[in-house]
Amino acid sequence: MEEKLKLSPDSFEALPQAQEPDNEKIAAPSLTFVQDAWRRLKMNKGALISFWIIILMMIVAFGSSFFINHSTLVKSAPQYANLPAKIPGVPINGFNGKLKVAGQWVDEYKQNNVPTGKYFILGTDNLGHSLAQRILYGTKISLIVALVATFFDLTIGVAYGIISGWRGGRVDTVMQRIIEIISSIPSLVIVVLMLIVLRPGMTSIIAAIAISSWTTMARMIRAETLQLKSQEYVLAARSLGESPFKIAWKHLVPNLSSVIIIQTMYTIPTAIFFEAFLSFIGIGISSPETSLGVLLNDGQKNFQFLPYQMWYPAIVLCILMIAFNLLGDGLRDAFDPKSRR
Amino acid sequence: MRKYLLKRVFYMILTLFLVASITFFLMKLMPGTPYSNQEKMTPQQIQIMNEQYGLNKPIWMQYLIYLGGMLHGDLGTSFQFSNQPVSYLISSRIGPSAQLGAQAMVFGLFFGIIVGSIAAINRNTWIDTTSTVLSIIGKSVPNFVLAVLLQYYIALKLGWFPIADWGSFSYTVLPTIALGVGPLAETARFIRTGMVDVMNSDYIELAKAKGLSRYGVVYHHALRNSLIPLVTLIGPYTVALMTGSLVIENIFSIPGIGEQFVKSILTNDYPTIMGVTMLFSAGLVVVILLTDIIYGIIDPRIRLSGNGD
Amino acid sequence: MKLSKFAKLGAVVALSAVFLAACGSKSGSGQASKQVLNWNESAELPSMDLSKATDVVSFNALNNTNEGLYRLGKDSKIEPGIATKTSVSKDGKTYTFTLRKNAKWSNGDKVTAKDFVYGWQRTVDPKTASQYAYLYSGIANADDIMNGKKSVSDLGIKAEGNYKLVVTLDKKLPYFKLLMGFPSFFPQSEKAVKEYGSKYGTASKYMVYNGPFQLTKWTGSNLSWTLKKNNNYWDKKNVKLSAINYTVTKSNSTAYNLYQSGKLDEAILGSEQAKQLSNSKELVVRKAASTFYLQYNQTKKEFQNKNIRKAISLVINRQQFVKKVLGDGSTVAKGYVSADLAKNNGKDFADQAYVKDAVANNTAEAKKLWQQGLKELGVSSLNFEILSDDTDKGKDTTEFLQSQIEENLSGAKVSVANVPFKTRLSRSESGNFDVVVTGWGADFADPISFLDLFTSDNSQNDGKWKNSEYDKLIEASKTTDTGNTDKRWADLVQAQKILLNDQGISPIYQQATSTLVKSKVKDVIYNSAGVNYNFKDAYIAN
Repeated sequence: MEEKLKLSPDSFEALPQAQEPDNEKIAAPSLTFVQDAWRRLKMNKGALISFWIIILMMIVAFGSSFFINHSTLVKSAPQYANLPAKIPGVPINGFNGKLKVAGQWVDEYKQNNVPTGKYFILGTDNLGHSLAQRILYGTKISLIVALVATFFDLTIGVAYGIISGWRGGRVDTVMQRIIEIISSIPSLVIVVLMLIVLRPGMTSIIAAIAISSWTTMARMIRAETLQLKSQEYVLAARSLGESPFKIAWKHLVPNLSSVIIIQTMYTIPTAIFFEAFLSFIGIGISSPETSLGVLLNDGQKNFQFLPYQMWYPAIVLCILMIAFNLLGDGLRDAFDPKSRR
Repeated sequence: MRKYLLKRVFYMILTLFLVASITFFLMKLMPGTPYSNQEKMTPQQIQIMNEQYGLNKPIWMQYLIYLGGMLHGDLGTSFQFSNQPVSYLISSRIGPSAQLGAQAMVFGLFFGIIVGSIAAINRNTWIDTTSTVLSIIGKSVPNFVLAVLLQYYIALKLGWFPIADWGSFSYTVLPTIALGVGPLAETARFIRTGMVDVMNSDYIELAKAKGLSRYGVVYHHALRNSLIPLVTLIGPYTVALMTGSLVIENIFSIPGIGEQFVKSILTNDYPTIMGVTMLFSAGLVVVILLTDIIYGIIDPRIRLSGNGD
Repeated sequence: MKLSKFAKLGAVVALSAVFLAACGSKSGSGQASKQVLNWNESAELPSMDLSKATDVVSFNALNNTNEGLYRLGKDSKIEPGIATKTSVSKDGKTYTFTLRKNAKWSNGDKVTAKDFVYGWQRTVDPKTASQYAYLYSGIANADDIMNGKKSVSDLGIKAEGNYKLVVTLDKKLPYFKLLMGFPSFFPQSEKAVKEYGSKYGTASKYMVYNGPFQLTKWTGSNLSWTLKKNNNYWDKKNVKLSAINYTVTKSNSTAYNLYQSGKLDEAILGSEQAKQLSNSKELVVRKAASTFYLQYNQTKKEFQNKNIRKAISLVINRQQFVKKVLGDGSTVAKGYVSADLAKNNGKDFADQAYVKDAVANNTAEAKKLWQQGLKELGVSSLNFEILSDDTDKGKDTTEFLQSQIEENLSGAKVSVANVPFKTRLSRSESGNFDVVVTGWGADFADPISFLDLFTSDNSQNDGKWKNSEYDKLIEASKTTDTGNTDKRWADLVQAQKILLNDQGISPIYQQATSTLVKSKVKDVIYNSAGVNYNFKDAYIAN
């Protein structure tokens, strides 16, 4: 400590008044939880692209309702059955109306005397429906199934989880046993039982999803609620005599939001898959309506001859699934406090 | 522990009882008779046959008779396979399904762990990205699409494996892959996340600082610790394999139980519907219980208590 | 019978077409050294109990592993079986059969008249709960026994010694000999039935065989089995195949893949595959004696209107439907009774009773009739549901119909319901439908087997179409005109014409299945009715 600090008297003078608040300022703008998550999500390229893909698919699929209605779906044209894709001006085999038949590329449009000027950009199915239209409609149905599953997750799943965790004790035990029983019945059995009572189609699929899809969400929410219950701010709210409903809405739900969003992102692909599976075993959506699962199932039967009928819906389904999975991953990283390093 | 086990077993039986009851009563709502020739038979004949099969008794009585039979291990006689006891039908067809399920599970877990660990070790490199993309694709392709592709390209075009049927091990390869890719992808992602978390933790830093080899760190610390939560995935995998096997069995002509189930529903084969439903539920309940127990044993932090979830 | 996707047994006795797998030298000289046939089935073998079998797979296996009094050859021609000589009484009600002495069961026991008596009594006995016992109707006392009014020993079959069999009938059955070639009338070894008890016919080892082949490798529920040449068979020197390996495939594309790789010599095709392979030399179309048609629920006001029914029928482009949508070899129905089923004086019934308008396609006329019908009903639009099976074919049918009707008939709003077979039957029977796509297959080679269905009092007449003249004609064909072949024929022709002119139903197509068969497979006998396949004479050519 040999060195001496050389302090001059002017070091002790007060700063000009105007500079004072600046020193107290925090450099970065303050971010809400959602803003912070959004910022993180934007850094994740894959998740961001997926997000926009999903938005785009939703717009296109739901927007298609204006021109793909019941009568377009019903209208069949067997004279145009099983035509491959044809996009005018694209001379690539596979997109020019040619199909590989026994090793040779054959112009199916010419073979079937399709009038010039008539073309289908993704080909047609066995009743001459435009495959592109069917895929759009199928995507819409798959998205609806996804939304329905999300809806039940958010309503039944979240409410059930919060009630179970919040009330605890006997109520919790009973509610957990119910979940245990529901999740012990294989979903296939539930669907089949639904079919006994209802007709195949959207109603039975939705009913099956309503019964079984929310249990995972309820479990996760309950576990989180149990933790949150003992937090000081919840305790404070309780001591102040807030109604349980208000506590749930004001304190629990915001704090549960990350769990909710992440879990939803995993519910969606599962639901889409589930619908595809049901259609495969022939108990899904019924004609003239269609879904990606129905299209895939029809396509796989003729894969040897008309591979495009399976490839196109398969590609769309894969893009949808990949987008939801990547977005789910991105959201998890964005919301997960552990990865905020 | 014992008290916990007893409690769990009690709930298990309760669950199965409820499943049996719900299925039984719903099944009775199915239209038509279980006879494959009902439209040819006169009403008197149908009545005589109903009497013989006990179908003319009140439903509650049939229900009691069924429950009584089940306690003795008697699941009734199939209608589609005449004279064939359902217990025989199930036991003769469960083999391939179980083998396929087990192989797919092992395949998925084994390769999933390998892919996941490689991705985690080479985190944020092209290897990591590739394996992530591949596992997402693996998760995104429906297994029946995969099965059709495998059958066409690998079996028919390349001739590496048999196209369909059930026999030696080579027959099981393609179905196992088709069925196991889903669990593989899931496992890989799970392991990767787990290992990345563990490798960021302080004790790994310590191990590294102590001069443990990269391999040693990965094997002794990271992998071991991320394997534990994997046990919880076995339950959901079992469910996925049960439903998945139905589709795979259909495409690869495997004499399994899944396909039989759908057919029994279409033909109103009441005893088979009940038998297979009970088998599926019992299988699932037992697997969930086992994984909970295993989890408790390997991870001491989890206390086995009656109200644990 | 109503037809389901589970390939129900087609017609039991009918004139039938034979498809030799390929035309080629029929002499035995070109035989390959390895006489093994690899055959495709689309469903499991559920039963080998002659009394309890109900499905086409079981009957095919039973027909080739067992033998009755006769064996049905090409064109359902009666060929010698266990019976060597048959004499019929003048009134046609008593048959006396002399049995061959060299017929044996696979366990070495001799096949005797007692085995026939036992087998028949067992099937008719209500305790056995045989679902095909109804075929015995017409044999003395069979109906009473089935309904529990008489004991089985009263059945009109008696053994006189070991090798003589006397059968008495309640009434003359013109198709009786054909029935004798059907498995439900085959003999059964009492010893085997007693020995195996409840296991009888549940696995290949719990059964004895007296036919050209014997079953092996069948565990009761597996997906493959083998018919091996039976060395105890009396005519074994004429059986050329040493084995037939069956493989069950649930997916048509799997079957086709197996066929391409040479693992199967025959593959059952789906409709799209058949369309794509329509130029293949190996494509073989198997026709069935069954017709699919629209049945209208005539307890509902809108379908009592003839113009509405006619409009719906006229709007269907059947030609396009069978060619472009089904594409599996099915043909446009000529009428309700299937084509090539029965002939009188060389003329096919379907041609004689043809009503052009009933199966024609005339959209302009349809539109006119539709508007007229709506006016008569006093409505401007009509919503109805078409019920059908949940099979691929069923779905394609309803989708096509929906499109054709909604596109061309303004004010028509069609919804479709594709339900499992059992559900469809049950809804039809309870009258819970508007329009149903349903099929009927002949039980024997006579138009009456079809036409009986639409008499007012028939319990199977789900649409409740009624016509007193039709009833009278059917009644006459059974009573006053039964002895006069031409008169009876004219009655039946007139009856179908009434049915079709009134559009009581709208016939759509006659069903067929497309298969691929390797050209080296020769002399497989296929009958469109009864048991489909007979492999006794089949062989593999070089």
